Amino acid sequence: MSLGTLDRTPPPIFKQGPSALSKLILFSALALFLMVADSRFNVTQPLRAVLATALYPVQWLALQPVRVGRAVGDYFITARQAQAQSEAASQIMATQAIRSSQVEQLTLENSRLRKLLDLREQLKVDAVTAEVLYDAADPYTRKIIIGKGMAQGIVLGSPVIDEFGVLGQVTLVHPLVSEVTLIIDRDLAIPVLNVRTGARSLAFGDAGAGGLELRFMGSTADVQQGDLLTTSGVDGVYPPGLPVARIDTIERRAESAFARIHCIPLALVSGARHLLVLQPQSAQIPPRPAEAEAAAPAKKGGRP
Amino acid sequence: MIMRRGQQLLLPASPVFIWCSLLAALLLDMLPLGRVPWMPDFLALVLVFWNVHQPLRIGIGLAFMFGLGVDVHQSSLLGQHALSYTALSFFASMIHRRLLWFTVPSQAVQVLPLFLAAHLVELVVRLINGNVFPGWTFLLAPLLEASLWPVASVILLVPQRRAPDPDANRPL
Repeated sequence: MSLGTLDRTPPPIFKQGPSALSKLILFSALALFLMVADSRFNVTQPLRAVLATALYPVQWLALQPVRVGRAVGDYFITARQAQAQSEAASQIMATQAIRSSQVEQLTLENSRLRKLLDLREQLKVDAVTAEVLYDAADPYTRKIIIGKGMAQGIVLGSPVIDEFGVLGQVTLVHPLVSEVTLIIDRDLAIPVLNVRTGARSLAFGDAGAGGLELRFMGSTADVQQGDLLTTSGVDGVYPPGLPVARIDTIERRAESAFARIHCIPLALVSGARHLLVLQPQSAQIPPRPAEAEAAAPAKKGGRP
Repeated sequence: MIMRRGQQLLLPASPVFIWCSLLAALLLDMLPLGRVPWMPDFLALVLVFWNVHQPLRIGIGLAFMFGLGVDVHQSSLLGQHALSYTALSFFASMIHRRLLWFTVPSQAVQVLPLFLAAHLVELVVRLINGNVFPGWTFLLAPLLEASLWPVASVILLVPQRRAPDPDANRPL
């Protein structure tokens, strides 16, 4: 019953329900409990999955204007743009053709050498393609939502790549959609290898600057501008050799023992549409002989 | 019935329309419009609106549930929007008897502190959880929400402003 409304049912006089203050206390306590359960104990995943499935129709509806816009935009590109794109694609194809023929020869040679040395075969990587549904509209973190989930066999902790390099890691799996935390999110860390020197290190996301930061490198360490960083493969999550980032600026300061190294990710962190979800390597690696420790996703804290 | 002078007597609100408007606001929030801190929260606006106009139908519990939905959609910490919407809904039910005695522009001024409080609750929760400060532009969001209040009070009251006895000669 509100002011100036012609309501045909009179408002209840005695049956008022619990007071607003008691409701506020109850629901605030519930919200606080959920926050603690989510950030500390990681027990809210079933609730999230249920809510995400219930919200899926609304999300699908909200994405339709974007899909239509994209389709119309793709349809009306000019002939010049199309020519430029096909030219660039054929150039990339040509360079890749040289490399792929070399790769075949090299893999043949490598497999023979491995057989000679009686080494275990290199790990194979299974991949699932997925489409990016939307960027999580959260201005504080860098996450994207992809349109494949538990039903398509996405596993928690899977590395995600696009055609240029590593994009991130799957951090939440719902029945139909999954959440990917990008490598530039400040909560994600990725072990990298400097291709020029072979030095291993850790790159952390730096969302403020929109890139990555190579931490714990001494101010006298051998890094140069333009060095390529690839995944090192020591973490049991990312397959080795995937390009991650390129070093952009190096600040060596006198007062600090560490250099401040800023890197630019090679993957399209803000414009990717299609991507590949790889199986995490930990499923294929035999367990450690003594203390079998499952490879946790490379994250500092919070949800796995 | 006690009424403000010059105010039109409104028809009863239809629950179907209330629910449809809430879902439409949720849809507007879910549109991928980019990650900007000053994006107004349409769902918060519609929730406050119905909390003020129909306090018996839309209350704190529903605001909490919608908050959980937004949390899952944004894949943020589960419960932070629920907490801010709960606070918003509580403050709205505190002022709902007083607010409708004012004109619509001064109502907008009076709901501004509510939206500001809701955004501050969210910011504090995020800062405690270890997120970085998003920049001062986030203060624009409550301003935009309050400035959308007159728009909401025109659009959401249209079905209640119809004539009580429709006939063939009246357009609506």
